[in-house]
Amino acid sequence: MIYLDNAATTLQKPLQVARAVAEALRFCANPGRGGHAAAARAEQTLYRTRSLAARYFGLEPEQVCFTANATEGLNVALRSLIRPGDRVVISGLEHNAVTRTLAALGARTVPVTAPLFDGAAWTEAFAAALTPETRAAVCLQVSNVFGAVLPVEELGKLCRARNIPLVLDVSQSAGLLPVRPAAWGAAFTAMPGHKGLLGPMGTGLLLCRQRPEPLRFGGTGSRSLEQSMPPELPDRLEAGTPNVPGLAGLGAGLAWLLERDPEELRRTEGERLAAAVRGLRALGLPLWTGPGQTGVLSFRLPGWDCEEAAAAYGRAGVALRAGLHCAPLAHRSAGTLPEGTLRLSVSPFTTAADIRGFLAVTRRLLQK
Amino acid sequence: MYDLYLTLRSVTPGQKGREALRRAGISCELLRAPRAIAPEGCAYALALRSRDRDRALEVLERAALRPEGLWLRGGAGSFERSGL
Repeated sequence: MIYLDNAATTLQKPLQVARAVAEALRFCANPGRGGHAAAARAEQTLYRTRSLAARYFGLEPEQVCFTANATEGLNVALRSLIRPGDRVVISGLEHNAVTRTLAALGARTVPVTAPLFDGAAWTEAFAAALTPETRAAVCLQVSNVFGAVLPVEELGKLCRARNIPLVLDVSQSAGLLPVRPAAWGAAFTAMPGHKGLLGPMGTGLLLCRQRPEPLRFGGTGSRSLEQSMPPELPDRLEAGTPNVPGLAGLGAGLAWLLERDPEELRRTEGERLAAAVRGLRALGLPLWTGPGQTGVLSFRLPGWDCEEAAAAYGRAGVALRAGLHCAPLAHRSAGTLPEGTLRLSVSPFTTAADIRGFLAVTRRLLQK
Repeated sequence: MYDLYLTLRSVTPGQKGREALRRAGISCELLRAPRAIAPEGCAYALALRSRDRDRALEVLERAALRPEGLWLRGGAGSFERSGL
């Protein structure tokens, strides 16, 4: 299979990831609950992953909280900051993980839009929208539909100057682009563990630079006599038995990334994406591309329904995603509703041959 | 051989403290705190030699860690609270 659905999850992982999962299944018991060797091994395993993540993102280990996915992290962040009626400025490219949560919280959501690949225009639009009554700003770093990179560092400066908490969704950028919550002044930064960080599904990280409100309540292996959740992180957010095998795998993914030159990874993925853009352009297909595009490319096959086209690609051995990608707001902002797009997304394991194979299948489908 | 217990609220600061102490060449062990020194319920303790007390507290402070309590272990498993 030619796997080009890495924005949904990276299917190909370093071998060390599966090995770490298997070892944790065999040798790790419940961490933070017992003093025996198998519990201690689980604790060490989790602390290693936490420390690697802290190193990778330039924070302290206790600021790294484990979640089940980016959605859970965003729920915690938004529920910690937002009350009904609060004005929240978001990018017009946000995922349902943000927009549905804000709707459930009764927020007054103000989506900001600008031309997809024009960073300066996004900064200007945010600057105009961040009024004194704004309670929080939420922004993704890379659009999961279009691969457009938003100027989160500039947005951080704007928010700091206005004392507005910033929530970042780095689901598509973590593992690929620099993510610096402390330098950017982000209150919370959420991400999955199973995409660019190359860990297993069911893992995620929430990087906390202010105290969050817990979403789950229960045992933490600490301060058991108290009936409120502990104030300190990470315990405050980590009630219940954690996904030790998954988090062991995430640690292996992080270690793999830390051993590599991030510039080299970016260059390689950029080349793969550029090759796809050139090939689709040569075929005269509609596509959404521009400067700085990262990891993700949306396009269409004229005359084809997107879902039917993705199914045809699938039958030909190419894995793509079609439709709205759980981000109807992004499609509304870009004018790609109601059809949506076909989406191709790359990873460190995408080869030049994968892109050639994808283009060959595209040519065949166009002849049908 | 360890007669000094520094209690910490949970396992993560305990692990961070253990790492910092070991990096500073201070021998220690991270344990679940005996109930006698964990009045709020489950907690963790860094066990070390009392002769390393001052240096250990300095190292932990540099790592932004403040123990909840400091206990000297006596005979027959008894503990005596000591000032931080």
